[in-house]
Formats: sequence, structure tokens, C-alpha cells
Amino acid sequence: MLMAAGLGEKLAGLGSLSLAEGTQVGVLVILAALVTASAMGVVLLSNIVYSAFLLGFTFLGIAGMYLLLNADFVAAAQVLIYVGAVNVLILFAIMLVNKRQEYKPLKLGNLRNAIAGLVCLGLFGLLLVTVTTVPWNVTTRISRLPSTTVAIAQHFFTDYLLPFELASVLLLVALVGAIVLARREFIPETSPLGYPDEESLELVERPLQQLPAGSQVKN
Amino acid sequence: MFGFLKQVGDYTREAVQAAKYIGQGMAVTFDHMRRRPITVQYPYEKLIPSERFRGRIHFEFDKCISCEVCVRVCPINLPVVDYTYNTAMKKKELKSYSIDFGVCIFCGNCVEYCPTNCLSMTEEYDLATYDRHDLNFDNVALGRMPYKVTDDPMVTPIRELAYLPKGVINGHEAPHTAPRAGKRPEDILEELEAAATTTATDS
Amino acid sequence: MEAAQGIDLQRATVALLSQWGVPLTVAQVLWMLLPMVAIVLVATVGALVCTWLERKISAAAQQRIGPEYAGPFGLAIPVADVAKLLVKGNLVPASADPLLFSLAPAIVFISVFLCYLVVPFGQNLLISNLGTGIFFIIAISSIAPIGLLMAGYASNNKYSLLGGLRAAAQSISYEIPLALAALAVAMMSNGLDTVQIVHQQEGLGILTWNVWRQPVGFGIFLIAALAECERMPFDLPEAEEELVAGYQTEYAGANFMLFYGGSYANLFLAGLLVAVMYLGGWSLPIPIEAIGQTLGIAPTQPLWQVVAALLGITMMLLKTFAFLFFAILLRWTVPRVRIDQLLDLGWKFLLPIGLANLLVTAALKLAFPVAFGG
Repeated sequence: MLMAAGLGEKLAGLGSLSLAEGTQVGVLVILAALVTASAMGVVLLSNIVYSAFLLGFTFLGIAGMYLLLNADFVAAAQVLIYVGAVNVLILFAIMLVNKRQEYKPLKLGNLRNAIAGLVCLGLFGLLLVTVTTVPWNVTTRISRLPSTTVAIAQHFFTDYLLPFELASVLLLVALVGAIVLARREFIPETSPLGYPDEESLELVERPLQQLPAGSQVKN
Repeated sequence: MFGFLKQVGDYTREAVQAAKYIGQGMAVTFDHMRRRPITVQYPYEKLIPSERFRGRIHFEFDKCISCEVCVRVCPINLPVVDYTYNTAMKKKELKSYSIDFGVCIFCGNCVEYCPTNCLSMTEEYDLATYDRHDLNFDNVALGRMPYKVTDDPMVTPIRELAYLPKGVINGHEAPHTAPRAGKRPEDILEELEAAATTTATDS
Repeated sequence: MEAAQGIDLQRATVALLSQWGVPLTVAQVLWMLLPMVAIVLVATVGALVCTWLERKISAAAQQRIGPEYAGPFGLAIPVADVAKLLVKGNLVPASADPLLFSLAPAIVFISVFLCYLVVPFGQNLLISNLGTGIFFIIAISSIAPIGLLMAGYASNNKYSLLGGLRAAAQSISYEIPLALAALAVAMMSNGLDTVQIVHQQEGLGILTWNVWRQPVGFGIFLIAALAECERMPFDLPEAEEELVAGYQTEYAGANFMLFYGGSYANLFLAGLLVAVMYLGGWSLPIPIEAIGQTLGIAPTQPLWQVVAALLGITMMLLKTFAFLFFAILLRWTVPRVRIDQLLDLGWKFLLPIGLANLLVTAALKLAFPVAFGG
């Protein structure tokens, strides 16, 4: 929404644009279009694989927005974590679960749609009010930060130490949970000897009966 | 506690050992890089086929007596012998003879059993054609003189490993006329004859 | 010695263009095009040279000659390859997803080429000195698996899908040790940007290169970089005996060329990164300032600066080709690992060792700030 406000101002001053500002506005428009279009695609497309790929484009667009806001570290982290890890894992899950399922049309579908639309409109109105009432202190001067990495690190280890540590504890819990799920302690209990039953390795078919030599094979 | 340390130590030792073995393997590969290439640049250089090479079969029309032994010894009865029986002369007259080299396995049985030696093996091996029916050689095609690698001015003939002079292991390093290592059959024969004459004179 | 090789190409070009009567804004725009073309050229030529080297070194390791008739030493063979692939038909299988099918190679290719943005060939010889240098490369190269998955899915071929899934799993697993190794280096140079990493190694020539200070990290980085490039011991995604050609199975012509060129550009990039992070980047084994002093040349002399810049580029390429040589030699030495061995190596060996290396580096940095970049 900050972007939207900034966009309005910039569009107002479109007549007297320098090269850098013009590029910035152009890139902003392109990125906004990319994010909006791909986000709509994620929701509206019926093919779940398309949705997952479009989600990657949404993340990339957001990373571009961060770049426009001089947050290069956050942008790179966004690409690394959301595009490189989260989206790839989503795709992985979709491709490993090869399940085609027909969805039945819900009862009172139109009523549900109407309620959902109302909620969305309400949210949109709320955001619109917020955007218009907050006095955005947009400076036209573009300051060049020395290094966002250092600034972020300093914040992490001073005033945001607690949230940072809490987040790391959360990740640790997730890690332990993943290991617990993956180890499956209950499997060895089924075989008391400590190794899986040999029966599971046997073929289900019976072995072919040996024919005595010289006998005719009857068809 | 110490069990854990031992585990760590063993793991480290194994990792170092694996690295060492990969290093040894790479040393072998690296060593191969300084060896001369053994490539034969085929259309420009060709290997001389070995002495008993079984290439395309050569056929002499006039020697053939149409006995069909070649057909009988062939694993798949491949040669086609087309003849008429001349009652006046009481002789078979050969009209045409053909072998399909697309089917032939070059076992050499026909050459071995031919009573008049009208079949013989040549050194020719590049028989590629655009149509497999072109490989069905008739008596004219079979009677053509074979191609020889050493006669072709466009081609550098190269000896195979077994026919190189003593100490040479790369065909590029010796001229193809250089005598091969060891004695040739005629040399052995000459020696034997010389020995026989000496023993004869001695006694 | 900070600005020893400081030739400002940008200012010079813009000034030159302004002299010719080009307006300043247009001159700046024209300048922007120049590095873009340069990066694409460098990456493309690098990838082409890689294919030639691969063929020649493979041939030498097997006592063959390799390409010989196309140009001197077969140097024109990559050009012939490109020409052949360009004129070949761009097939899209009938039951494939045409949109994703053609989008996938572009994503892989672009993500590899974007990484060249921050690779420095000299003090000022890089496109953009981002503050997040190494991190940027790691982040951008993590987009490539999406393209591979896309290719695998869109081909509508089970081998392709398996190859794509393997590629994604592999590159996610090995990104972590790669990042840990890079992190240790970044910790020593107090920053992520590539120029700073090279500067921190420059002091005493070959003695202060990061190889000596980060031997474990160097090993981790080498293995992880090979796995990221899908090179021989780790080329499971395109294991031809099992998966035909993995995610590339259905590709032909220009689309295949994008994958193929992208993988070699990635290998070249890995070589450049090894050179920058561990082998002192563009610096010579003996510091260039020392050479200049013994020859009695002032470091500000323009001709000397040009010579120094050229020497820097040569050193960079030499170090990169040393890595490529190693990778190709390894290709003909070690057999392919299984998928479980691959993941085992990544998660149970490289990851703990990478973490330990990071810890030891931090401790050493606190204990000996002189040697480990205080």
C-alpha cells in the first residue's frame, strides 16, 4: 500500500522525470502488474501445478519490490527462502502426490461466494481507509544506505533479539518435529528381531513347477 | 563419552581414507593424460587388417565348377549358385553366383571348403551402402579386385599393435613397411631348411 | 593501494560519447547496455570454452584426440555445435504442456546468467558491486530448480519428471553446505560482497589466499559446487543409464541448447566463485604492487593499470580453468553416487562439517584477528 501511495505521487510528477525515477516507476508498474496477475492466477487457475509455479512469480515480484525499497538483503533472502525453498517444496509435494480428485460443487455455493466477496470488499475498504488516512511521510530524496546487511544484523542482536531467538527456537522445534516424523520409531517394534521380516521380500507368485524331462508342454 | 569420540575418530579416518583413494584414482587419470593418443583418423588413416582378416569374399567366375559345396557348408545356405546342366558336355555351366553381405557372417566356411579355391577372403571391410539390397553382390561385384589400404594414395596405412616392430606400441610411430617383431613364416621356413641342410652335410 | 587498478570505464565512456555530441542521458543509457552485453558475452564464451575444454580434456584422459578439424585444435567446434542446435527443429511433444515446456529452459538460463552480475574480474571490472554479493549468487541460483521441476513436469515423461525431482532435491540439499562454506569466508572478510572478499586475500599474495585459512571450507565448497552443477559424481538428474537424459529428455534444438549452455555456464560460474572466494580472485601469486615497486613503476600510470587489469583477468581465468580441469578429471575418475549416498553425503557429512568449520572460523577470528580478518 505504501507502494500504491508512492505510485500515485510519482504518477502525478510524471512530467518532470529523470532517467532513474522513470526507470523506477516503470519497474514498479511492471512488478505490481506481475504480482497482482500471478497472485490472481494462483487463486483462480484450476490446475494446481500452474498455481504453484505462479506462486513463484509472485514471490519474485515481491523480491523486486523489496529491491525497489533499497532492501537488497531482504530481497535476496526472499528469493532464497520463498522461491528457492518454500516454492520448490510445494512443487515437490504436488508432484509426489499424484492424486486427481474431482471436487463436488458445494451446497449454497452462491451464498458462500457472496459472503466471501463481502468479506473481501470489507477488507479492501479497511485497507483503503488506512491508506488514505495515514499521513505517509514520503521523501523524494533517495538515500543510499551503507549496507543493509549490517543494519539488519545490528537490529537482530540488539532491540529485536527476543523475536529473533524465538524464531530460531520455533525453527528448532520444527526441525525436531521433522526428525521425529521421519525416523518412525514404531517400525522396528513390528519385527522383534530388529530386521524386517523376510516374508516381505518374497514374491507373491508361486514358483513355476519343474517339468519332467521329455514331457510335452500342453497348451 | 569415549565411545562417541571413537566413533568420531573412525568416521574421520574413513573420510580421510576415501579422500586418499579418490586422490589415487585422480592420479591415475592424470597419468593417462600424458600418454599419446591412439586415435586412428579413419578416412585419412586406416589400420592394415591382420594377416588372416576375413573381409569381403572374392569370387573367380572361371574357376567355379558349380559344385554347391559353399552352399552346403554355409550356416544359412547363403550363396546363390545359378547353373544349367549342359547335357552335351555333361558339365554344369555357371550362369550367375551371388552372396548377400548384409546376411553373411563372414565365417569363412565357403572359402575353407571350396574345392577349386575360387572363393577367397579379402581385406575389404567398409561395405556401407545406402540400401541394404546393394549389399547383395553378384558375380561381377564379387569378382572385383579388392581394395587395399596400402595401395590407396589418400590413406596413411597404420599397423595394428600385433604387427608393429619390437618396442613400438603405437602405430603412428613406425612406418607401415617396417618389419614386425618376431620371425615371419618364410623366415622360419628358411631357417629350418638351412638347419636341415647343415645337419645333412654333418652326417 | 586501494585504487591501484582504478580505471573508471563508465566515466570515460560517457565522457567520450558526450564528446561525440550524444546527450548525457542517452550516453548513460548507452553505457548501461555495454555491461549487459559484456556479461552475456563473457558467460556465453565461458560456457563455450567449457564445452571445448570438456571434450579435449576428456579425450586426453582417454588417449583420444578429441575435436580436431573444426578450426585450430578444434576450437571452432562449440560454434559449430551452437549453429547446429539453432537450425535444428524446436520440437514440443504433442502431449507436453507447451507453455511450461518453453518457459523452463529460459528460467534456468536466466537464473544462471544473472549470477554473473556480481562476479568481479578486477577492481572495477564487474557489473554491479552489490552489498550482498555471494548471498545474491546463492539466492539467484536457487531459482534454477524451479525451472528444472517445470521442465520435468511439462515434458509429460516419467524420466523427465524423475530427473527434475532429483535435480531439485539435490540442489536444495547442497545449497546449505555451499552457503555455510561461503558464510565462513564472508565472516573472515567482514562482508558478503565479492570485491571485499578478494581484497581481504590480497595482502601477501599466494600466502594469504583463503585456501590456506579455509581448507575444510574449500573442500566443502568444491564438493557442493560440483553437486550444484550436476557434475559427474553427482550427475543423478541426467544419469543416462537410468533416466535417459533426465529433465532434458524431451528437449531438442534451441531449448536443449539453453539447458546445455546453462549447465556449462553454471560450471564456469562455480569456477569463478572458487577463484574469488578461495584462490584470491584476480590477485597474482606475488602481489602486483610488489612487482610494480621492484620494476619502479608508479601504480597510477595508465599503461601499468591496463597491464595490471589484463593480468588480473588472466589470473581469474587461469584459476577458473584450474577448477574446470579438476572437475573434468574427477568426471573420468569417480563413479556416479546413488541418490541415498548423495543425500547422505550432503546432510550427514558436509552439513555437520560445514557447521563445525563455521564455528572454528568464528573462534579463530576472535583468537587471531590478524590472520583471520578481525
